[in-house]
Amino acid sequence: MLPAPGVFYFPWEISSGAVQEGTTVRTFGRLKCYQPAESQAILSSHFAATQHQVIVHTVFVEPFHPILGAQYIVLGELEITEGAGLRVHARVLNCVDGVDLTILQSAINEQRSYFQDREGGTDIQHPPP
Amino acid sequence: MHAEEGDEEPPSMLWGRDPIFSAYARLYIKDILEIKESCQVPGIYFYKLHPIFKVDVLGTVVYKREREDFFCYGVDDGTGVINCLCWKDEQWKDHSGPAHGSKPQVPSHGGFNPTEQLKKLLHSQRCSSNLEIGDVLRVRGPVKTSRGQREIAASSYYKVTDPVLAVQISWMLEVPQLYRKFYDQPCQLSNNALGSNIADTDGGSAASSLLGRASRLLKDFLREKTVEKFRPYDLQQQLVPLVSSTPPQAPNPNPHQAPAPQEPAATQSSSKQLHKLFADTLQLLQDEGLVFRKVISPDQVYQASFGIPRNATQVTEQDRELQRVTREIIREDSKREKYAEKGCHVLHILSSVRQRYSRNVSKAVVEVVLKALECNSEIISATDNHYTAL
Repeated sequence: MLPAPGVFYFPWEISSGAVQEGTTVRTFGRLKCYQPAESQAILSSHFAATQHQVIVHTVFVEPFHPILGAQYIVLGELEITEGAGLRVHARVLNCVDGVDLTILQSAINEQRSYFQDREGGTDIQHPPP
Repeated sequence: MHAEEGDEEPPSMLWGRDPIFSAYARLYIKDILEIKESCQVPGIYFYKLHPIFKVDVLGTVVYKREREDFFCYGVDDGTGVINCLCWKDEQWKDHSGPAHGSKPQVPSHGGFNPTEQLKKLLHSQRCSSNLEIGDVLRVRGPVKTSRGQREIAASSYYKVTDPVLAVQISWMLEVPQLYRKFYDQPCQLSNNALGSNIADTDGGSAASSLLGRASRLLKDFLREKTVEKFRPYDLQQQLVPLVSSTPPQAPNPNPHQAPAPQEPAATQSSSKQLHKLFADTLQLLQDEGLVFRKVISPDQVYQASFGIPRNATQVTEQDRELQRVTREIIREDSKREKYAEKGCHVLHILSSVRQRYSRNVSKAVVEVVLKALECNSEIISATDNHYTAL
């Protein structure tokens, strides 16, 4: 009845294809564009001198007020579609513009390292690097 | 957490001694869903042998169902999703009409309008208890299992306004620390409970319970033998059984070191241990005011606060001289006009005792003496801090 938990993943982990299809993920990024006709948005983020993109399917969270260039948090299931490829089927899409990404990343890492210590790195919390 | 699953849960008598039991534990939802329910008392759960009863969670609402009396929110903290039963407030029902009527109704002469403010308050209260999917919810309350499903019966809950994730981030940083420092630390209950089931006031680690037992042992000894004064060295032997039988399960009644010939190194370390334990215990008794040193001299003589002194560490209750001096001070000063009505204040008594008897007397010592005098009905306390003679 309840959906699976949305585990935090970094956008570059998702765009690199390291996360399996069907996983419930939670990630962030700057809203780069929004196409209401296709119910599709693109979140982009910068990491290791590369731009990473995550495509978001927004049909469940519409109507929403898109602010281009703002930071968003998305929670949803990863799915593979024919046209768009890998994308997140969003259940939650929140604008969190002003968020301190450095601290957010360290908080995600802190939580991961705790679970890693506790369970010896076998938990789903730790996608391969 | 799975490693300990075979272990037996601690007896329910001891649960209250675990501070986590009476706190709202900030567990990950994943753990709340997995922790084992107690077989002694339903509604109590065990995380690593810590009894858990109520929890505190923060997460995103990913599921919502509304009933007449309550909301059921599915909360996701990134590790798990759990149902939270959130009862609607009474006021919810009374004013369930749309709250939009409370638009700025011309604040009459710009004055304060209580009705208006109350409406606003109710409105904001309603807003903070009615969440939509995607909102952040904080819930505190006991963990329940109903129809085989874990849920939290909210005793309090509210919508968290977290536009830049600050609350969630600080939560994510804090919880692992709580786990590392407290929840994952082994539970100490069973260790100290064995030797001492009642008077153990310091419910801490095994070390502090050893100190507790040592101080009780010394107190009993001082009382029984009505010791007035002692030199530390003479009393130190009293604690030998405690040190030689450090495993608290079997307090060895034999004062001599019973175990077979020990390595010299071991003997040395145990004598060091003994010395340390004795010093700590003596300090504890001193802090409690039961013993004191009348004269600070190389000749370490302690007096007991409870009796008759001659030349060593004094034992307060035995120090008749000290009692006599204190009694006289109170008797004389109570007659003075300044103290006639309320009696003498403890600090006044303390400073007089220091002048007339010994400069090394502490407040704790005076309090012990006053208590003893009061027990003998030689003085009475007028207030918490004032004493007067009969």
